[in-house]
Amino acid sequence: MADIVRKQIVAVEGLTVRERLQAMDDSAVVTAFLGGEERAFSELVTRYQTRLLNFVYRTIGDREKAEDLVQEVFIRVYRHLHRFDRSKKFSTWVYTIASNLAKNELRNRSRNPLVLFQTVQKNFQDEDRPLQFEDTTSRPDDMYRKRHLREIVEESVAKLPEHHRNVFILRELEGKSYEEIAEITECNLGTVKSRLNRARNSFAEIIAPYVD
Amino acid sequence: MDCHEFCDKHLAFVDDTLAGIELVRMQRHIAECDSCAKHDAKIRRALLLFRNLPSIELSADFSQRLEVRLRECHTEQLASTQRNLRFGAFAATLASLVMVGYIATTLYDHANGPRDVLMPPVVATVPESEFTPITTSAPAIVASVSAGLTIWPAALFAEQVPVTFAHSKLELANYTR
Repeated sequence: MADIVRKQIVAVEGLTVRERLQAMDDSAVVTAFLGGEERAFSELVTRYQTRLLNFVYRTIGDREKAEDLVQEVFIRVYRHLHRFDRSKKFSTWVYTIASNLAKNELRNRSRNPLVLFQTVQKNFQDEDRPLQFEDTTSRPDDMYRKRHLREIVEESVAKLPEHHRNVFILRELEGKSYEEIAEITECNLGTVKSRLNRARNSFAEIIAPYVD
Repeated sequence: MDCHEFCDKHLAFVDDTLAGIELVRMQRHIAECDSCAKHDAKIRRALLLFRNLPSIELSADFSQRLEVRLRECHTEQLASTQRNLRFGAFAATLASLVMVGYIATTLYDHANGPRDVLMPPVVATVPESEFTPITTSAPAIVASVSAGLTIWPAALFAEQVPVTFAHSKLELANYTR
């Protein structure tokens, strides 16, 4: 028994700091960062950057702005991590920051129509850019169908009201529980369920003519 | 189960969070009701499409840009900490100087020994009486009272009047309560 424990300790000691951080859960990585391990923050960034980018992008519909907002999320996390209540889930806290930033962005856009126009124009220019998800070995008509379908899905999501869309993305894309969504969106559980139900129904209604 | 109940429980049905017996009831309803079966299929198909959206990848310079911003943030935080420390040190020095000055002054005063306190001379005056003494009435006034009473009982009676009125009002208040 003692041999097994000794072997495990040796195995852990043999790992690099980065590997050790990778093996830790979020809470332990946060503790390591607050304990002075700067590399722990890179680990948090690696874990959340793509997830947050997808979440923010699906919420606001502008890729470049989404990247800027994700950067802002990490800056805020870096500045205020010492204030984070470690009895709560780190992911919920990060998503709350991202959700608030996305909401502010949408609010600013609705106040400034010029920004909205520029965003729409930029999205049109983005059409020329090759899509990363497409398999280059597939046939051109398949590629076209996939791209077309992706656009339809994204447009249908964009048509949902903001508070429905937020809940819908957190549940369907990020796989968050109702309780976590309630905490992130600062709503009660009943509201979350009701919004999610409506969002699902509306989304299905919007997309139905394209897929039937 | 009716269609209304089916719609109410559809969220939990899709998320697979219904209790076993409810799940069976929902499945049975789908088998019986075409409209609800279509609704269920429509929702599930839409969700499948959304869940399979390709993930957006970060741009190549994302990490580099973030690193630069984090470094700036770190420098800013360090500068702020140093500024706070400098201010703290300055405040502490100032406070200790004030304290030393106070102690020095106290010690100097103490070394000179206790001195008699010289007070300015006080001129005492007798306060004027607020009530003027009642002078005896002139014999003419005493004579003017028709009932033959002297003015003294009348004056005393007049003094008692406000008290009597107050009593009567108090009694009235008690009765009305």
